[in-house]
Formats: sequence, structure tokens, C-alpha cells
Amino acid sequence: MAPLLPSLYTLSFAIAFSVTLFIGASLRLLSILPHGPFRPQHLRRKPCPTRVLIVLGSGGHTHEMFYLLRGLDTRKYTHRTYLVSSGDAFSAQRAAEFEANLLKLENERHKKEWEGSINGARSRSRSRSRSQSIASEEGRGEREGKKVCVGPEYYDIAVVPRARRIHQSLLTTPFSSLYTLLCAFKPLFSAGTVLRDEPPHNAYEAASRDFPDLIITNGPATAVIVILASLVLRFFNVRGANSRGKVKTVYVESFARVKTLSISGKLLLRIVDRFLVQWEELEGKGGRAEFWGILV
Amino acid sequence: MWSPSPNMKVCFVTTGATAPFTALIESVLKPSSIDAFKDAGYTHLLIQYGTAKNVFDSSMGSVRSQLQPEAGKEGLIVGGFDFNPDGLKTQFKLVGDSKGVVISHAGSGSILEALRYQLPLIVVPNTALLNNHQEELAVAMEKSKYLLKGDIQQLAPAIRKSEEFRNKMGQFPPITSGRHRETKSFGAIMDETLGFLE
Repeated sequence: MAPLLPSLYTLSFAIAFSVTLFIGASLRLLSILPHGPFRPQHLRRKPCPTRVLIVLGSGGHTHEMFYLLRGLDTRKYTHRTYLVSSGDAFSAQRAAEFEANLLKLENERHKKEWEGSINGARSRSRSRSRSQSIASEEGRGEREGKKVCVGPEYYDIAVVPRARRIHQSLLTTPFSSLYTLLCAFKPLFSAGTVLRDEPPHNAYEAASRDFPDLIITNGPATAVIVILASLVLRFFNVRGANSRGKVKTVYVESFARVKTLSISGKLLLRIVDRFLVQWEELEGKGGRAEFWGILV
Repeated sequence: MWSPSPNMKVCFVTTGATAPFTALIESVLKPSSIDAFKDAGYTHLLIQYGTAKNVFDSSMGSVRSQLQPEAGKEGLIVGGFDFNPDGLKTQFKLVGDSKGVVISHAGSGSILEALRYQLPLIVVPNTALLNNHQEELAVAMEKSKYLLKGDIQQLAPAIRKSEEFRNKMGQFPPITSGRHRETKSFGAIMDETLGFLE
């Protein structure tokens, strides 16, 4: 092997090398970070199996998150991963309750529909026009065509260590945050429910083994770290995270913030794909904050 | 817990279970507040005091005589409890059925919960907390007519105002964003972000 040229060990080379690296990294960062306000994509696609990562926080944030999610359509958002900090049993419990309720509502709807179809079959022998109207209703159901994805196989709760424990020294916080960052990659790569050794059986399973399509958060400290991790994936285009348009991010500022942004909000304002505020006074912060009314 | 009866009118006070807003317990049990409750026809006052049972007991001691029925006026029955693991649904329902009022600390979770039941709500910001946005939120919410903001020093005016407010309170969550423009649900925003075709 030829020896390295001595010129490579000089200071000027080291400076030139790091400057080039810095410029390259900045350009890459500029190309993946959003520019200005969000514009709806022209590319309109049909809902397909989609994984969404929901970052939960302490009491208040978790409360608001489930108000935000009250109209969640499980035919579109087919796999949900709830991310909680270690020791936050409350948030994990709320997530499980939310999913249990989705399942309950779906079972009730199913039962009603089934009873309806029995009654329909009875009256069909009597009235022809009635049976036609039922047929057209069924047709509509077919067109919507999407499976309602509720139940234990369609969600998981991932736990990451806390970035900063209560009363933890500020000196060690960078290290524990870094550890949280490393742990945050696992739930990003795939949902916790999957069996690794088997290939996916269908598109729903495939989606749960891929990056989330969407990350939703409303501001706990963990959220900043998870979004940072997603940025790393996009930066290096890991497994096509950036080119396939995965890991889009939506931040919702707390309903309690009327005039000023929270610290998490300020940090993420220029990083997330969409930044939503719930009071008109905050609209347009950083040239990006969107206001569509109170969302909770 | 009291069973509902046709002539009752209930005020429910929630102070936060883990770190109770003790000044609110004292304020609600002040003679001027008790007078306001009686004038507005309240028969029952229910206080969730969380871990602050001692504050509740000592405040009760000084107003007990005022709670008795007088000539021409009914008495006020006061009850308290610390924490309900099943949530506050029964309490809110009792207020709704008896056309009463909820008085709450200004935590956003409690505000959102009470408003889901479409109940008249008086929110009392904790002015002792620094760097906290309770006051801002309460002012903004009152401006939009979702609730009334109460003053911890003097709660009686808000109690009197709540009778009239009952009939003109705004719907929450609002249907429009308050401007003549398109509004979106959070679900619609998620769909739009991913470019989903409706």
C-alpha cells in the first residue's frame, strides 16, 4: 500500500476538508428543510397503508393530543405507534384506552350494520325498491373500500428513555439526550409489533415495518429529539427516507399558548414540515405558523 | 355523591388533583362568594380539593354558620372529595342536569374537559405562578365567549355574571375559526400533509 502523502497531514488540508464538509452538509440541510410556509402537494394520492408516529408527553400534552386525534380515520392511518417516555405510565395508558375505544366503536358499528342487513334481507322480499337502495349503499361501501384498521396488531406503544429526568444535572443532560436520540431510531425504523424473521404478509404489515409516513407531536421535550432523529434519516436518505417522502412532520403548538411559542415550538419552528398554532396572534410566526382555528 | 333532584342547583369546583390550587378553595368559601351562590339560587356546592383537605376543613369552619337556612333563603349544602379515579363525569353531569356552573383552575386539561360538556365555566388563573400562561389563555377564552374569567380575590361578580352567561356562551370547539375563511379539522390537515385524496 502506498504511504499517504505528507501534504494530507497539514493544517491547511484539514481546514479545507472541514470547510468542504461543512458547505456540503449545509447545502444538504437546506435542501431537506422546508422553505417558507407549507404548500399542499400537487401530487394527490389515494390513501394507502400508512404508519403514523404519535409522540406523547407529560399529562397536559397527552391530554391535548387525544383531543386532536378524536376524528382519526383508521382506514387511512392504518398503523399507529405511540411514543412515550420511560416512566410515563399515564400516557401509555391513555394510548391503550384510545385504541380500545376505537375498537369498541368499530365493533358497535359492525353490529349495527349486520343487524341492518338482516332487517334489509327481510324487507327485501317485500319491497323491491328498498332492496335497490341497500344495494347502492353496499356499492358505496365497496368504493370507500378501505379496511378499518383497529385492534392490537394495528398499533404499538414504544418507550424511549427520558431526555432529562427530574432534578437531573444540566451537565449530564447532553449525554442522556444523546442516548434518547439513539433509542428514538428504533421506533422510527419499524413498529414494535412485527416479527422480524418473517416477510410481510400484506401491504399493511409492510407499512408497519417501514418508516412512519407522518410524525405528529405537540411539544414535549422528547418530540424535539424524535424530530431530530427523523432529520438525520432524511439527511442521509437512509433507506430512501427522504426520496420516498417518508417521515413528514407536523407540530401542533399547545392550545394554552396564546401569545408566545413554547421552547419546543421555537426549536422546531423552522424544522417541521407543518407548524400549527391555535390562536390567531401566533399566525405567521417565523413566516410559517399556520392557523386553522382551535384544533383540540 | 348527591342524587339528582329537581330543585337542586349545583356548583362544582375543581382545583386540580395533584397540585391543588388552595387559594381557590378559600376564595369559593369566602362569605361574599357564599352570598353570591345563595342569591343565584344554588343549593349545593361540591369541591374537589385534591390533597388540600386541611384547607377545605379550615375554610369550612369559618363559614359554617352562613350555610344554614335563614328566613326566606335556603341553605347551601357543601361537600368535598379528594380525587375520583374514574374521572369527573358524574360531577359534570350533575352540574349539567341542575343548570349549575363549574369553577375551575386554569389548567388547559380541565378547561377542555368542562367545555366538552357544554357547561358554563368560570376559570380562575393562579396569579401566584410565574412564567405561566394561565392568565393569557383565560383572557383569550373569555374574549371568545367560551368561558368567564374569575378573580381569585373576588369571585362573587363572576358567579353573578354566570347566570346571564349561560344563555350566550359560545360553542366549543368552535365551528369556524372566527374569520370568514376556510377552517380545517386536524384530520384534514394530516390528509393534506400526506397529499391524500379525500
